[in-house]
Amino acid sequence: MSSLAVRKAAPAAGTTPGTAQGPPLRGRIALVPTLTLLLGALYCLLPVAWVVIAATKSGRELFSTFTFLPGTGFTQNIKDLSAYRDGIYWKWMGNSALYAGLGALLSTAVSAVSGYALAIYRFRGRETIFNVLMAGVLMPPVILAIPQYLLMAKADLTDSYASVLLPLVLSPYGVYLARIYAAAAVPGDVVEAGRMDGAGEWRIFTRVALPMMVPGLVTVFLFQFVAVWNNFLLPYIMLSDDEKFPITLGLFTLLEQGSNTPALYTLVITGALLAIIPLVALFLVIQRFWSLDLLSGAVKS
Amino acid sequence: MPITKHNRLVASTIAVVLGATSLAACGSSDDDKSASQSGPATLTFWTWAPGMDKVVDLWNKGPGKQQQITVEVKKQASGDTLITKILTAHKAKKAPDLVQAEYQALPTLVSNDALADIAAESKEAKTKFADGVWQQTTLGTDAVYAIPQDIGPMMFYYRADLFKKYGLTVPTTWEQFAETARALKKKAPDKALTTFSANDSGQFAGLAQQAGAKWWTASGDKWKVGIDDAATRKVADFWGGLVKEGAIDNQPMYQPAWNKALNTGKEIAWVSAVWAPGTLTTAAPQTTGKWAMAPLPQWSAGENVTGSWGGSSTAVTTDSPHKAAAAKFAAWLNTDPQAVAALAKESGIYPASTSAQTSDAFAQPPAFFSNQPDFYTKASEIAKTTAPSAWGPNVNVAYTSFNDAFGAAAKNKSDFGAALKTMQDATVADLKKQGFGVAQ
Amino acid sequence: MTTARRKPYGVKGAPYGFLLPATILFVLFFALPIGYAIWLSLHKVQVKGLGLGAGARNEVWAGLRNYTDALTDSELVAGALRVAGYGLIVVPVMLGLALVFALMLDAEKVRLAPFTRLAIFLPYAIPGVVAALLWGFLYLPDVSPFYFILGKLGLPQPNLLDGGPLFLALSNIAVWGGTGFNMIVIYTSLQAIPAEVREAAKLDGAGPLQTALRIKIPMVAPSLVLTFFFSIIATLQVFSEPTTLKPLTNSVSTTWSPLMKVYRDAFNTGDIYAAAAEAVIIAVVTLVLSFGFLRAANSRTKQEEAR
Repeated sequence: MSSLAVRKAAPAAGTTPGTAQGPPLRGRIALVPTLTLLLGALYCLLPVAWVVIAATKSGRELFSTFTFLPGTGFTQNIKDLSAYRDGIYWKWMGNSALYAGLGALLSTAVSAVSGYALAIYRFRGRETIFNVLMAGVLMPPVILAIPQYLLMAKADLTDSYASVLLPLVLSPYGVYLARIYAAAAVPGDVVEAGRMDGAGEWRIFTRVALPMMVPGLVTVFLFQFVAVWNNFLLPYIMLSDDEKFPITLGLFTLLEQGSNTPALYTLVITGALLAIIPLVALFLVIQRFWSLDLLSGAVKS
Repeated sequence: MPITKHNRLVASTIAVVLGATSLAACGSSDDDKSASQSGPATLTFWTWAPGMDKVVDLWNKGPGKQQQITVEVKKQASGDTLITKILTAHKAKKAPDLVQAEYQALPTLVSNDALADIAAESKEAKTKFADGVWQQTTLGTDAVYAIPQDIGPMMFYYRADLFKKYGLTVPTTWEQFAETARALKKKAPDKALTTFSANDSGQFAGLAQQAGAKWWTASGDKWKVGIDDAATRKVADFWGGLVKEGAIDNQPMYQPAWNKALNTGKEIAWVSAVWAPGTLTTAAPQTTGKWAMAPLPQWSAGENVTGSWGGSSTAVTTDSPHKAAAAKFAAWLNTDPQAVAALAKESGIYPASTSAQTSDAFAQPPAFFSNQPDFYTKASEIAKTTAPSAWGPNVNVAYTSFNDAFGAAAKNKSDFGAALKTMQDATVADLKKQGFGVAQ
Repeated sequence: MTTARRKPYGVKGAPYGFLLPATILFVLFFALPIGYAIWLSLHKVQVKGLGLGAGARNEVWAGLRNYTDALTDSELVAGALRVAGYGLIVVPVMLGLALVFALMLDAEKVRLAPFTRLAIFLPYAIPGVVAALLWGFLYLPDVSPFYFILGKLGLPQPNLLDGGPLFLALSNIAVWGGTGFNMIVIYTSLQAIPAEVREAAKLDGAGPLQTALRIKIPMVAPSLVLTFFFSIIATLQVFSEPTTLKPLTNSVSTTWSPLMKVYRDAFNTGDIYAAAAEAVIIAVVTLVLSFGFLRAANSRTKQEEAR
């Protein structure tokens, strides 16, 4: 926990030595913020705790024992899930990782370069292009899925990994976010200084601006990753081969097996819990990049 | 608004592109006919039945290998949205060769020209099914659009132990059913005989079917919609009355509180279909061996009719380049004794094929009903009494309207007749909007 | 930025080059499908007779028929009103909490910050397929532990899934799921505030609260505008929360929100044409409201810049 405090304090001490962080304050806990945050965490974790506890229950216990009473079936549930159709769940997990990982990476790259251009340059049509890109969020995705399918079908790309990946690469939200971060984190004179040194525009972007934008870009990456990970409708329409399904779609097929077959609740809940783990891991990795030291380091060099 | 002009341009571009492809599609459909000859073929099959891949393996290793016809299973989620997915794929001429489809969805698929006529390939298969079941796949025409896979004759399920405890007798008429509900309320006010749920239209459709309703009938080139007919109105008023007086519950099915109600004996009966044991196994695991199955209560004593809830078929799409091969597989899947036995074992279905219903696979009762050894003997007797069904091209519209109108009526404990009228009007309005001929 | 006159040709062309990938993707995966949706919204299906057999179904020009149908549909209007009520709860509460949490995370001497940050973000990771089951277990009186406790304490047990409380139940799901997301946006912006600015505030003798109000909030204003902009859009397009609760209660119809009606028409009743027209109307309303907001917010920031 304290590692963050250290990281946060480090650049402050480095850039303005000798001020502020006086010894009298050190070691005390800010009570109100800490308690508020803990309350918020409790509020958010309670429903998540249900998923954790429900995943420990066997099929017999799920609907019969007290809601927050842990069950006895966790290891069996994981075994059953792994055994289901020769371990297709792990295939879905891998697919989701591929869609979300690659999709978020491409999306972040496009957002970064677009956001940077919109924030740094003054050029004819800037606001128009920005507004048109933003207009992409106006049309509800629900209605775009079918036209997107029909267009993919023309390119003979349906039921392929690309059909799920490509439509998600451009994220208006990501572009907007990247624009804000570029405007805040990349000073105009740094770009100008790069030009004075004779660097090309692309080189200035990759060598000077990009490192400054990293904290913001990891946020874009995180959001895109989760957005693709949880996406349902697009893969639902695009994919017919369940070997290519992401987790959301796979779990849905476990729930909807027709009236003569019971929904496999325990497998779905266990599957959903396991699917949270990669997201937690990603979050833990990413939050290392939110601190300022990368940014301030880049300014100096 | 800078985007409008842009979009108009795009729209016209797309219109041109679409026009071009629909021409191209027309051209290619001619080639299909010559392509649907025998020879090595690989077929894709969209199905939601669990374990279907294992059943298909039997084909791929046996008859399929001899005839060089390989089938690949692509498992899907069931439900209304699958029809949209099939139709969207069909629009792009990319529908799979074979699809699993519920009976009530067949007219919708046929009216979108998504299903191929396989009458020529299914003459032999026809003899294996009861007429009432087969008729659902022909839509009253000379064509055959699917081979029946499984059926869902409706039955009455009740907690035998609790019926005994409260001194209730198993109702044989709906009048007795209502009396039983009232008697239970009197003896145990915190319990209910069952619930009226507005979230599965299939149950209500089956009950109406039992009462003799014919929701869609074709006369000449016009559809007649009879959702608001006397038979259905009788059913609606009956259930509406029970909900209104508080004799039964009004919570939706298939949610945690409903599961708990079944599991703890808060609700002690369920009007369901032959597949109920599977659902009860997950919903009410603690009540194994405590339930019993009886025929559905009747509208008049001495009658012997039931409706159906669920059930599906295997259909060949018009996009398939190997229609004959696909039809061969569909017939094998649902009539070959070995295949149907595997379907029963792996997918847990109750077969549509009459002889399969009394095969060895159904000699033993389902594990949940071990106390009722003659479960499947009784089930096949009941299946024979299924009333004919009458599906039309916009069942999905009627069903959605049912969810909303009856959901609101059940919540407010208001007039179910008015809800039925809403359902009728919505269905007729949709048919008219689409341009179908509608008889008044 | 320096004046445009001094820029060499490469500088002038660069932004267009940088925006090329986004533009291509936009045309392929947004503009074309949107155009197609608009094309669909102007058409309808025309069936002949019983509609069985080949060639019985054709797509024909419908003019503005789908639009007039949608606009005169009382369910769509009623849905819009429900969404307005829902939005009035969700947007202020969610963004308020997100801002407070972000400022608290950014405050000095906060303990357990990485843990709480992750915890508050985590709901965003729960997939929709499980959400209905999850909220069923927490909201339905027969299975909810909260009702159990209320019952033990002899307190009244309100029905959360009907009438006014239904709005709270829905809003709770949205706030629970969305707060962490917005918190991270604001928090990342706070992290970008230079240390010098913080120090200067402290030297002026400003307390944590004053620093937050006078320095931090104005400095993260662009992020606040962003979260507001997207929250308005998300509210107008609300779909997943009511869909989550739908199986649990008779009180949520298939047309509870306008987008649910779009989904119903497109995926359940198979009328993609009507669905497209409704979606276009939702898009236009969203355009007016959200871009109106954005314009207002921009002109204010510009005024402030000018001062």
